[in-house]
Amino acid sequence: MSVSGTVAVCGRFVQLGIAFLGEYAGTVAERASQAARVPPGRHSLPREFVAQHQRARIIEGLAEEIEEKGYRAVTVADIVRRAGVARNTFYDHFSSKEDCFLAASEYAVAEALRRVQEAAADVAGWPAQVNAGLAAFLGYVAEQPALARACIVEALAAGPAAAERHELSIQAFVPFFRTGRELSPAGDELPETLEETIVGGIFWIVHQRIVTGQVGGIEEVLPELVEFALTPYIGAAAAKQVAGEPSPAN
Amino acid sequence: MAGEPPEIPGPPEEGYPPELARLPTGRHGLPREFIARNQRERLIAGIAEAVAEHGYAGTTIAHIAKHAAVSRRTFYEHFESKDECFAAAFETVMEELRGRIARGFEQAGDWPGAIRAGIAEMLAFLVAEPALARLCMVEALVAGPVVVERYDAAIQGFVPYFRAGRRDLPRETLENLSPTTEDALAGGMASLISRRIMAGREDELEDLLPALVEFVLTPYLGTVEAARLAREG
Repeated sequence: MSVSGTVAVCGRFVQLGIAFLGEYAGTVAERASQAARVPPGRHSLPREFVAQHQRARIIEGLAEEIEEKGYRAVTVADIVRRAGVARNTFYDHFSSKEDCFLAASEYAVAEALRRVQEAAADVAGWPAQVNAGLAAFLGYVAEQPALARACIVEALAAGPAAAERHELSIQAFVPFFRTGRELSPAGDELPETLEETIVGGIFWIVHQRIVTGQVGGIEEVLPELVEFALTPYIGAAAAKQVAGEPSPAN
Repeated sequence: MAGEPPEIPGPPEEGYPPELARLPTGRHGLPREFIARNQRERLIAGIAEAVAEHGYAGTTIAHIAKHAAVSRRTFYEHFESKDECFAAAFETVMEELRGRIARGFEQAGDWPGAIRAGIAEMLAFLVAEPALARLCMVEALVAGPVVVERYDAAIQGFVPYFRAGRRDLPRETLENLSPTTEDALAGGMASLISRRIMAGREDELEDLLPALVEFVLTPYLGTVEAARLAREG
């Protein structure tokens, strides 16, 4: 192949790579079959694409191992075996199991937030946005149960750095609910901690579904969560009405 | 409006197998049963101290034994592992906490007052015993699946207290309450408290009382009444 041809092909792979990461949305099984396993040794793919692809695979491997064994029991050997990468490759990306876990959490929160915001942008009015956003969140949990378990159930098993990350992940969703104060007669007289307790409560309901093995049908809790989230701002009757409306299809 | 207090499980029976009672006393002249119980309690106190000093991961059996002033062999007479010893310590602290919350709840005149009293008791305990608060809400989460399961169960322990708020509500209000209302309230409350402890903001815990009371009362009594009750008293 000519030099310019090679560059064109590589450019396309970079594009695909970025699109692939942007669409980090397929089920584990789907992605495993779709994503071409990068063969070992020399290849013509750009270094960044390979690196990002490996990083995603390692994170996925971590999530799957945690789902099977619980955080404490997982070793780097387990992760690399599951991800199909060399041990050296793991350490190219992460300094430790804990480091990998933190990256996975950071990734998952960013992606969840992105989906929530994207869904909310499609509808008008804060209550409907909460409905759409929560639907998107639950959809993500249903689609990525291993990652959800890692971040929501095992989130604090990894020690103090994980606690800090957990704190940030709660805080990340607070603004989404804070907007509700504009609709409340009480406005800023509502307790300062209200949004934190709503987010905490939502995570807890999802947590329970995961540990009792009911994550498959998790989207059925959407109306309850919408009511729970909206009631302190707009009252129970109005909240129930919004919860009864269908959310936009994902 | 005081309802029946919820069924609160009592402390576990401290039974000792009959074999122990029949054993002859040792060199010290005290019955073996007494010694065993005393050692177990010291090990429980010992792990609490050791974990406060070293964190859960950094605590060794040697640390625990030293704090309890017993030998390693004695440790293994009572517990198979650090995890098991910690689980016993966790349960001991939780029993104490549950007892205080229950007493606060029962002594109040009406349900909203009972909610306030129960939550206040819990916050007061966590503030008064910061090492135990961290043991229960921070270290517990890295102490293995058995303890984590008990931690989760402890959060669910609030559900009967909240559920008592459904009594005497008008039918329309009851229809608006989803089955998981109590779970979400318990989880939201626990999340806030544990995050404050993890962040080293224990000094703010008692200030959270009005906000937590308002949060819990809202689904049952409505936003206005919940706010009013939360801010008075």
